[in-house]
Amino acid sequence: MTTSTIEVRGLSKTYPGGVQAVRAIDFDVEAGEVFGLLGPNGAGKSTTIGMLTTTVRPTGGHARLAGHDVATEPLAARSQSSVVFQEQVLDRSLSARRNLEIHARLWGVERAETGERIDEIASTLGLDELLDRPVATLSGGQRRRLEIARALVSQPRVLFLDEPTVGLDPRIRAELLDVVAGLRARSGLTIVLTTHYLDEAERLCDRIAVMHLGRIVALDTPDALRDSLGRELVELRVENGDGPAALRSLRTHGIAGGDSFTVGSTVTVPLHDRAAADAVAAIGALDLAPAAIGTRRPTLDDVYLRLTGGRLAEAA
Amino acid sequence: MTTLTPELTLPRARPARNPLAPLATLARRRFQLTARTPRELAVPLITPILFALVIAPALKQALHTGSAYESFVATGTIGLLIPLNTLFSGLSVIVDRESGAQRELLAAPIPRPLLVLGNLVVAFAITALQIGVLIGVAVARGIHFHVTGAGLVWFLGAGALFAVGMYGVAETLASRIPKAEEYIARVPAIGIVPWFLAGALFPIKALPGFLTWIARFLPLTHALALVRYGLLDDRGALHDIWGMSSTGAMAGLSLLVVAGFAAVLMAVSIRVFTRSAVG
Repeated sequence: MTTSTIEVRGLSKTYPGGVQAVRAIDFDVEAGEVFGLLGPNGAGKSTTIGMLTTTVRPTGGHARLAGHDVATEPLAARSQSSVVFQEQVLDRSLSARRNLEIHARLWGVERAETGERIDEIASTLGLDELLDRPVATLSGGQRRRLEIARALVSQPRVLFLDEPTVGLDPRIRAELLDVVAGLRARSGLTIVLTTHYLDEAERLCDRIAVMHLGRIVALDTPDALRDSLGRELVELRVENGDGPAALRSLRTHGIAGGDSFTVGSTVTVPLHDRAAADAVAAIGALDLAPAAIGTRRPTLDDVYLRLTGGRLAEAA
Repeated sequence: MTTLTPELTLPRARPARNPLAPLATLARRRFQLTARTPRELAVPLITPILFALVIAPALKQALHTGSAYESFVATGTIGLLIPLNTLFSGLSVIVDRESGAQRELLAAPIPRPLLVLGNLVVAFAITALQIGVLIGVAVARGIHFHVTGAGLVWFLGAGALFAVGMYGVAETLASRIPKAEEYIARVPAIGIVPWFLAGALFPIKALPGFLTWIARFLPLTHALALVRYGLLDDRGALHDIWGMSSTGAMAGLSLLVVAGFAAVLMAVSIRVFTRSAVG
């Protein structure tokens, strides 16, 4: 029996031409959970959202929203969700209010309720003064808030946020993160958020699925993902630039384990049970001549690097 | 600073109950986007009115034809107005896809063919309004029509079905063509070339023999023949197509052709839209 709000099993998408955007992914999202899909552009995040919102046709597996199969019951599945798309999707020549009204009508909100609902959400998201202005006259941040307000007008059970802060300046981005963080306070609202910003995922999500080349390569809470690398790690940069050779040497001498990794001239060694001072001393005794060496707590970036072998920011 | 911490109640979303309600919402949205200013309604009328009021009388005078020719051209102009108006309506589909709210509409809990039908309703209404204005202006200019109750039915049936079919062409093209520039480049070939062959300015029998045969296969030829039969009680165009003695049979057959055109093109346009809009 299905208990999860979202249930995904073996979901796959291969586009014409053979591009495998999503490869047999599995996950569940519980009611009220904020679930993050983290990965660079091309990882398959937006395609996954597209399949869950029935705007992309799966080529394998299945997915259910509130018990409704997205392939066989698309209308019922869509009635449970709203989407904030990666790019702005608004009728720019219409007023903000009209954009909200259209959503309300299409999602079956009673006409009598619509005005009150719009005023309530506009007030909550700071859009009161903007409702009767054409969308074309709003700033990028105001439009983003309007899109979030629009998605909430129909009071969905599931809210999909596809890269909601891409292209926004830092101040507006911070403001929007406050909005999304505030949505967590709404009992029962399940949020699926895609992002390639680690800080967003870490701040907002209860659990994160790290996607790489169409696959989920890790899925856990942010803390558990970080803890998988231990409480501390050593990071060193070698002068000759040959990180892989340095890593081999560290492994040969029993300093680095299987979860150590290298990017260019930088080698990262999770310590797990070993004391940081011991590890630094042991590295110093080797003939590596590091240009820099230090210890720090693991971050999600480290988790991603270990899992994918590439820096997230570079891949994005 | 604005408070940005939502504290909203959370009932469950529900599907729309009345299937016509989303269609009305979509049509109203399309109308608001299409007809934001009176100019957007008036501009497409310029060419047909120019034809009916200036070019037709000028041709009549230059060619020493009778007043019937003015009526002939005025009704023929309807065959230009419908394709141009419906084809330009198709541009809004591309704009919606490229920079509008099409993805939001695709995520809505409504059957996706309604998106096509919502656009059709508005294209149809604006075309009907423009034809009404064209006929009104023509009458005011002194151009004569001979309309009976039955004739009006033939005219309305042919005009409506042809407009539906042409909007199907527009929606299909708009779904298949990625850029507005490419779409516009195809409008003359689809919207204007058939008009020269379909008996709008002269009977199709005046064309070379092989072009007369081609004209008989154009839905526009049948639509114009029915419009002339309905508005002018002119059976010549129907006879040029079918060569039969029974006017009712010829009109019925031509209406069948136009209805088939409308049904096939609408079905194709809905299928192409729903398939191309979903990746």
